[in-house]
Amino acid sequence: MTAPDVPKPDREPFGATIGRYSAVLLFVVFIVTFGVLKPDLFLTASTFRLTLGEGVVTAVLALAFLVPLAAGTFDLSIGANLGLSLVVINWFAANTRAPIALVCVGAVLLCCLVGLLSGVLVVRFRVNSLIATLGVSQLLSAVALKVSNNRQIFGSFSDGFAGLGIANPLGIPAVVLYLLGLALIVWFVLEHTPVGRYLFAVGGNPEAARLAGLNTDRLVYGSLVSSAGIAAIGGVIYAMRVGVYSADVGPGLLFPALAAVFFGASQFSRRPNVWGTLVAYFALAFGVKGLQLAFGPGTFWIQPLFQGTALLIAVALASRQIGRTWRSRRAEGSATTQPAPSEPGDATPGVATVRTRLGQP
Amino acid sequence: MNALEIRNLSKTFAGQTALHRVDLTVGAGQVHALVGQNGSGKSTLIKVLAGYHRPDPGAVALVRGRDLALGSAIAAHDAGIRFVHQDLGLVLELDAVENLMLGLSYPRGALGRIRWREALCQARERTARVGLDIDLRRPVGELSLADRTALAIARALPDADRGSAVLVLDEPTAALPDADVRRLLATIRALRAAGHSVLVVSHHLDEVLDVADRVSVVRDGRMVTTAEAADLDHHTLGRLMVGHDLARPTGRVAPAVAGGDPVLALDEVTGGTVTGLTARVHRGETVGVAGLSGSGREAVAGLLSGRVPRTGRVTVGGRPVRAASPAAALAAGLAFVPGERARYGIFPNLTVRQNLTLGSLRRHIRYGYVDARSERREVLRWIDEFAIVTRGPDALVTTLSGGNQQKVLVARALRRAPAALVLDDPTAGIDVKARTAVHAILQDHTARGLAVLLASTDSDELARLCDRVLVLDHGRLVRTLHRGTDLSATAIEHTQVAS
Repeated sequence: MTAPDVPKPDREPFGATIGRYSAVLLFVVFIVTFGVLKPDLFLTASTFRLTLGEGVVTAVLALAFLVPLAAGTFDLSIGANLGLSLVVINWFAANTRAPIALVCVGAVLLCCLVGLLSGVLVVRFRVNSLIATLGVSQLLSAVALKVSNNRQIFGSFSDGFAGLGIANPLGIPAVVLYLLGLALIVWFVLEHTPVGRYLFAVGGNPEAARLAGLNTDRLVYGSLVSSAGIAAIGGVIYAMRVGVYSADVGPGLLFPALAAVFFGASQFSRRPNVWGTLVAYFALAFGVKGLQLAFGPGTFWIQPLFQGTALLIAVALASRQIGRTWRSRRAEGSATTQPAPSEPGDATPGVATVRTRLGQP
Repeated sequence: MNALEIRNLSKTFAGQTALHRVDLTVGAGQVHALVGQNGSGKSTLIKVLAGYHRPDPGAVALVRGRDLALGSAIAAHDAGIRFVHQDLGLVLELDAVENLMLGLSYPRGALGRIRWREALCQARERTARVGLDIDLRRPVGELSLADRTALAIARALPDADRGSAVLVLDEPTAALPDADVRRLLATIRALRAAGHSVLVVSHHLDEVLDVADRVSVVRDGRMVTTAEAADLDHHTLGRLMVGHDLARPTGRVAPAVAGGDPVLALDEVTGGTVTGLTARVHRGETVGVAGLSGSGREAVAGLLSGRVPRTGRVTVGGRPVRAASPAAALAAGLAFVPGERARYGIFPNLTVRQNLTLGSLRRHIRYGYVDARSERREVLRWIDEFAIVTRGPDALVTTLSGGNQQKVLVARALRRAPAALVLDDPTAGIDVKARTAVHAILQDHTARGLAVLLASTDSDELARLCDRVLVLDHGRLVRTLHRGTDLSATAIEHTQVAS
C-alpha cells in the first residue's frame, strides 16, 4: 500500500497520551502526595475500605448513566430512580413482613418499568431524552416524597441483609465486589457483544444505524430500561450499606456520577467507557479523602470543588487534543467528509452525539 | 500584476510533509483551477490560504503585489481573499436575506433594530451580482443545491465598492447534477467578467477544462505543473493527476443472462419525488437511474432502502419487501450503498472494522460475544480485496479518505451477499482512482450474478456501467436508454435536459 494518499501512521502526540491516562496519573499523584503528608492516616486499610465503600453507590449510578449515553441518550432520571428504589425498599421493610429479597427484586423491576416509560417518551413521542428524563425524574421525586412523607425512613433490616452491605471478605468491602461484578457485566456488554456495538453505532449516527438494519428504537428502549435497573441496584446497595432513606440521597448523587462519566469518557478509548469512569471517579474520591484528612473536618466543601475542577480540566484537555488530531486528520485526507459532531472542542464523543440528537425534531 | 502569488509554501504535520515548496500564481481576472486527487494536498493548500493552518517558515504570499501573512484568517479576508467551502455554511432554516447577512452585518436603526427593508435591498443587489434570481424570503433549505452554492458565492463577494476579490471555490460542483453545473460555471464566468479572480478546486476535469484559463495540478504535496487550459485535454490532465495512465475500464460486455425472472422488481413505486416507477433488474444486470436534481433520481435509493416511506410493490426474488423498513429490505436480500455517506453511512465514532461489519455480525458471534479476531480476519480480507487504504482494521473510519470510506460502505453491503444492490451516487466526491476501483468492484460482482440498481448524477459512470438507463423527469420515467443502441453519456445528458 504505497498509494499517495496513505494515511500517515501518525503517532499519538505525547500530550494526548497523557490526557488519556490523566485519571490514572491523578490517582497515583494523590496516593503518593497524601501518603507522604499523612502516612499514618491516609495509607491505612480502613481509609481505603472507607473511601472505596463510600463511593460504590455513586459509581453504580455512573454505570447506569453510561449505558444510554453510549447510544447518545441522556438519562437524568437515574438519581431519582435510585431514590425510588431506596424508598420502596425501606417502606416495605419498615411496614410489612415481605421477604427482603423479594422487595429488592420488586424495586428493581419497578424502576425498569420507569425506564420503559422514559423509553416511550423518547422513542414513541420523540421527546428529547434530556427533557423526558428530567420530567420523569421530577415525577419520581414526587412519589418518593409522598411515600416517605418527607421524613427519613428506617428500614429495620435484618442483620443478614445489612451484613451483605458491611461485610469485608478478604478485607475488601463486599459492596466493592458488587460494583466490580456490575462493572464487568456492563463492560462485557458494551465492548464485546453485538448489542454494545449497536449502542455505540446508534450513538454515533442514528440514521445510518437504522439504515444498516438496526432496530434503533429497541436499542434506546433497552438502554433506558437498563439504566433505570442499574440505578435501582444502586438503591439496593445503599439500603444494605446505610439502611436509611432520606430524600436527598438519589438526586444528590446524580451530578457526581455524571461528572465521573464525562471525565471517564476522556480516558482510555476516548468514548464513554466503564473503566475510565471508575478510575476517574475513584481518583477523585481518594483526592477528596486525602484533602479532608490533611486539612481537617471543616473541608466538606472540597468535594464538589474538586470534582468540578477535575472534570473541567480533564475535558478541556481532551477537547484540545481532539481538536488537534482532528485538524491534522483533515489536512491529510483532504476530502474526508466528517459529519458535524467532530468539531474541535467537542470533548467527549458522548456530548457530541447528544448534541446532534438535540438538533432532531 | 497577479491577483495572488504564493512562493515556496511547505506544510508539515508532525514530521509528515503535506505540501512541499509549492508555487502558485493566479493571474488577475483569471479563472485558475487547482486539481489533484484526494490527499494530494490541494485542500491543505486552501486551508493555509484561509488561515486555518500556519505554513512552515519560508513561505511568501502576495495579493496584488502586497504581502500577505499566511496563517491568519483575518489577514486573508482583509487582503480580499474570499472562500466558499464545500460545506457552504448556510443555515437552511433561515431565508436568503438572513443567510447573506450572517457573513456581513445588518443595517441597523435606532435601538439596534434591524432595518429589514434595507437588508432586503442589499441582498437583492448581491444576488443580482451572481445572476441569482430567487425568492429571498424563502428558507434556504427549499432552494436547489446550485442556488445555494450561488448564494454562498454572493455572500462571499466583497461589497461592490471594495473592488475585485480573489474567490476561492472549494469543490463547488461536487454535489451538483450536470445542468446545475453548467449554471454554476456560467456564474464563475460572470465573476471573471466582473473583474474578480477565481481559484477553483475540482475533481471534474471536463468542467475544469471548460471554465478555467489556467490549470495547476497537485500530486503528493507537490505542484506538478501549471498550464494553459487550452493546451490540455481530459486524458493528459487525468494522467498528470494520477501520475500514470488511467486504466480505462472497458465497457461491459453484454450480460450473461438477461432473461428469466427479474431479481429486483419495482411496480408503481411512489414516494418522495418519485411517481409510479416500474422497473426490472435481472441477474447480472446493471440498471441505471438518471435525471436532474428534483427529477426523482435522488429519491429512488431512499425509497428502496426503506429510509423513506413509499407505496407500490417491490419484490426481490419474487418475494415482496415491506416498505419503510431498512431491516426488512436487508432481510429480503437487498443491500444499499447510501448517498451522502457521512449522513447515512458512516459511524464516525467507530473503527474501520466496526463500520464494515455493522449490521451483520452473526458469523463472528461465539457464545454471545463478538469474536474480534475472526472479525478482524474477515475485515483484513476486504481491505485487501478492495485495496482500502488504512492504517489497519482498528483505525477510526474518519481517518480514511472519502474514497476509502466509500469502499468500506460497499464492502459492508456486499459482505451480506445480497441478491440485489442499490447504490446512490457511489462515486460523488471521491477521486479518480477510487472511482475506477469502485467501478471495477461493481463490474466484478455483476459478472458473478449480482443485480445492481445504480442512481447517479455522473452520466459517464452510467454509460460505462449500465445495461439500461432509466431517465426520470418530474418523478416519472420518461425514457429508457439501452446499451448497444442508444446508450451513451451524451445521450443521457441530452435526455435529462430535453425531456
